[in-house]
Amino acid sequence: MTKRSTSHDTFRIERLYDAAPARVWRAISDPAAKAKWFRGPPDVYTTTEQSMDLRVGGRERLAGRFDSGMTTAYDATFHDIVEGERLVYAYTMHLDGTQISVSLGTMEITPEGGRTRLVYTEQGVFLDGLDTAAQRQEGTEQLLDALGRSLSEA
Amino acid sequence: MPVQHGHFTLERVYPASPARVFAAFSVKEKKQRWFSCFDDLESVEIELDFRVGGHELNRLKPPGAVAHVMRGTFHDIVPGERFVEAFTMHLGERLISVSLLTVEVRAEGEGARLTLTEQGVFYDGYDQAEREEGTAVGLDRLGEIIAAGLL
Repeated sequence: MTKRSTSHDTFRIERLYDAAPARVWRAISDPAAKAKWFRGPPDVYTTTEQSMDLRVGGRERLAGRFDSGMTTAYDATFHDIVEGERLVYAYTMHLDGTQISVSLGTMEITPEGGRTRLVYTEQGVFLDGLDTAAQRQEGTEQLLDALGRSLSEA
Repeated sequence: MPVQHGHFTLERVYPASPARVFAAFSVKEKKQRWFSCFDDLESVEIELDFRVGGHELNRLKPPGAVAHVMRGTFHDIVPGERFVEAFTMHLGERLISVSLLTVEVRAEGEGARLTLTEQGVFYDGYDQAEREEGTAVGLDRLGEIIAAGLL
């Protein structure tokens, strides 16, 4: 019998990328550019589904499997899109078919000198002790680092 | 224009069973009896498909003002106990917020404690205090309907 609980948490991550705002926008809004960094660790994770339909009401999905056998699924719906500046979306995470969280994600991009500041804010409901904001933040920090590395590739 | 991130929690204890209080949110005919943060309305439109992946629409038009349109999607439901919903609010055509709503109901004494949490992204001059106030009015209305034996 599942012990029910909810934890409501907000965290915020900032990065200053050495790239123009248009490139950073592309990295978060273009499916091919996003697939370069938005994924599980390639040495232990296989992506089985990845798609993105960037419009208000459109969906994004990333599903896959760790070598250990654990499956994950990320499912998002876009609620606000301001070209070049902002995305707001709601997303759920499932591990092995069980929903572990429901969150809002906000990505905001602003120019800073010749570089780009990205601010990611997550407001999450972490369900039944199956994940924590600290773990989610850690995973997200790694993804935003991978985004940065993808900007310096062709 | 940057957005603002806000977060509030409201609690009420109602003289009704948890199942009855939960049904006030999950059953359309019951929701219609209390759901409004306005005293008088030109028109009300409510749609409610209470299941994971289901949608909710509430369109409330006060006289002489634009319609408040709330559109939600249910993402998590523990029947009788909890639900988590993502919703947008528009004033007319203008998006004023994107939020997560968590409603939890549990037995307390002879009645039920309801805990409502909203985590929101608020736009252009529409702020958390207004949302919190409107939501509190709604929960007070629910209490009146329960007390009047109308739920």
